[in-house]
Amino acid sequence: MKRPARPAKAKERRATALAGIIILQALCAIFFIGDVLTDMREGAHLNDVLLAAESVAAIALMGGVIFLMIELRRLLNRMSDMDAGLKVAQGQLAEVMDGLFDDWNLTAAERDIAIMICKGLDNDEIARVRQTAAGTVRAQVTSVYAKSGAHGRSQFVSLFLDELMSGDFGGTGPQDAPTQLP
Amino acid sequence: MSVGTQLESGREGARDVAVWDPLVRLIHWSLALMILLNGAFTDDEGMVHQWVGYVALGLVGIRVVWAVVGPRHARFAAFPPNPMRALRYLKAVRAGDRTVHLSHNPLGALMVYNLWLTVIAMGVTGYMMTTLRFFGIDWVKEAHELAFNWLMLSVALHVAGVAFDTWRSGVNLVRAMLLGRKRIPKGTAVE
Repeated sequence: MKRPARPAKAKERRATALAGIIILQALCAIFFIGDVLTDMREGAHLNDVLLAAESVAAIALMGGVIFLMIELRRLLNRMSDMDAGLKVAQGQLAEVMDGLFDDWNLTAAERDIAIMICKGLDNDEIARVRQTAAGTVRAQVTSVYAKSGAHGRSQFVSLFLDELMSGDFGGTGPQDAPTQLP
Repeated sequence: MSVGTQLESGREGARDVAVWDPLVRLIHWSLALMILLNGAFTDDEGMVHQWVGYVALGLVGIRVVWAVVGPRHARFAAFPPNPMRALRYLKAVRAGDRTVHLSHNPLGALMVYNLWLTVIAMGVTGYMMTTLRFFGIDWVKEAHELAFNWLMLSVALHVAGVAFDTWRSGVNLVRAMLLGRKRIPKGTAVE
């Protein structure tokens, strides 16, 4: 099954590309600066216009490198913020899921299957991952839905989201009164 | 197994921390490649040798700028050159301390500065040999060769240090320098 790319992966690729460009451009800048310095020492006043143009190019390249470096740092900081937020969210989601699984008295196999349902696997894929017959998986999935009171895949998944979104974010438990929506 | 470990899809209890950004990694492996090229493959007298050397010098230059403007773990502040800290670290290691350092460990930090300075010394003496003023002057050539020997020794120590720290702390440092993330085993103190 083809899944949409995760934004975190795209950012990582962007950061790597940016780093590569920084190195290439910085090396070019160093080359130009070296060239300008050599020309100056060897007294190339015969062609002051060219020398001036080269100097401007070298300085512009250098400025570009610094600019790209600051840009890359921003991107990296954004990535690490996202990472931190994601870790917190993962922890809370895991807590919510564990809690609900306990409430529903799911067996170990059913917990496994419930997680795979949430991750978007269909019955055939679950059967392949767990190396069981499709019929077994169908029975277990039905049992998971029955225990949770959901009428299908999407409703089952939304049970967790609903639990996460009830109460103010960062609130402690399912017992919190749902906040009124604006 | 709880849901948490499955969601993180990692080894149970271990956690991944992003430490080496792509620029640090690219510079590291490019520099290693340049040292390998010039140490083993290029003709010492040739133009390729010179250009590879200048690229190595440039890479160290970029890294130094990045250590000023870059993110937290890449900065000088994350690995100050402090021999006293390195000594304390050595003592702690001998006492069986397994603290994981997110950036370089204090001894590794000294090696970083040593490697950079050695590459700079090689670049400068190498450049001097191309100038009219210093061409054919013995001490410059000898300094270049001495720096090279020192560099080889340093690289060997660097690799040994990486192997030792990987064994001691359980954090695969080569993987960290390739993928950017240190996988910290559960229950390990982090600095």
